[in-house]
Amino acid sequence: MKKKIAALFAVALAATGCHDTMNSVENAQKEGQRNMVSDQRVVSDTSLNRRVGVVGVNTAMTPGGFLKVQVELLNRTHTLQNFNYHFEWFDQNGMQVNNSSTAVIADVIDARESKNITAVAPTSTCRDFRLKLILGSNY
Amino acid sequence: MTNKILIPLVAASAVFLTGCGTNAHYVSTGGTQNLVNVGQINIQDYIQAANSATSELLASGVLDRVKTPPAILAMSRIVNNTGQQIDTDLLTKKIRVALLQSGKAVTTTTFGLGGQAEDPLAKGMQQEQQFMNDQKATRTADFSLSGKIIQTTARSGDTTQSTYSFQLSLTDTQGLAVWEGEKEITKQGTQSSIGF
Repeated sequence: MKKKIAALFAVALAATGCHDTMNSVENAQKEGQRNMVSDQRVVSDTSLNRRVGVVGVNTAMTPGGFLKVQVELLNRTHTLQNFNYHFEWFDQNGMQVNNSSTAVIADVIDARESKNITAVAPTSTCRDFRLKLILGSNY
Repeated sequence: MTNKILIPLVAASAVFLTGCGTNAHYVSTGGTQNLVNVGQINIQDYIQAANSATSELLASGVLDRVKTPPAILAMSRIVNNTGQQIDTDLLTKKIRVALLQSGKAVTTTTFGLGGQAEDPLAKGMQQEQQFMNDQKATRTADFSLSGKIIQTTARSGDTTQSTYSFQLSLTDTQGLAVWEGEKEITKQGTQSSIGF
């Protein structure tokens, strides 16, 4: 009886799509070359890191001379995850550049999805950055 | 027996004295503790929309195409097509400040829609300066910034979803929209709920 209930539960889960993941396809021979940068990570929320991890970071300069950063994230779980992120910027002296409007941006990432988040430095004097990732509420 | 009456009384008094609500406290503007309403634009939505527009505008390099940088920006109309009364300065001021800090653009406060100056005193000072120095005209604006905020609402059962579209256009002196940006923010929740 218990086995039957468990089997029924599994079928119900599969039918309702609780384990929706994502398939994707992309060109194998890449034309664009990503300028990957070595990163330094501080993980204080291991739970978030287990769910949404940083795959890599690449940077580029915009035509106007602003630093542009792209961070690739991967949802390692089989469920949709809510997360918040926030970029901080630093000048050549390592001083934080006060951005007039900084918001923690709420975002979602589908199960097993790889997602890029990008940001452009607020001034052309910005040389370094820090991305803060915060676990969001899963509803 | 006395204890059975006294303990609940003391507990009730403690609850009464400390109050049931949350004490007033400061939160970081735009942070994760900010309240979220489905039916209205929250401050973090304005910040996010302004950040997105500024980043896209700076990355496009369109402001660098003027002959004498920094580019001069004139503020045009931001149409409010939402169901609520909003002050569009909550969006435009953030963009103006960010562009000024970037060094790529400055905003004129003496030239506006219908000839109305945002700062009439500054306009008077400008005219006086022109008269005193016998100057014919000052540099005019290179671009005007206009836009629209649109709300789209959908309901299903108890769940309400609102999408706020922040649309902006940067038009040059030839009347061409040389940059356009759109940021959509969608929020979902039950009608009575607020989130964080």
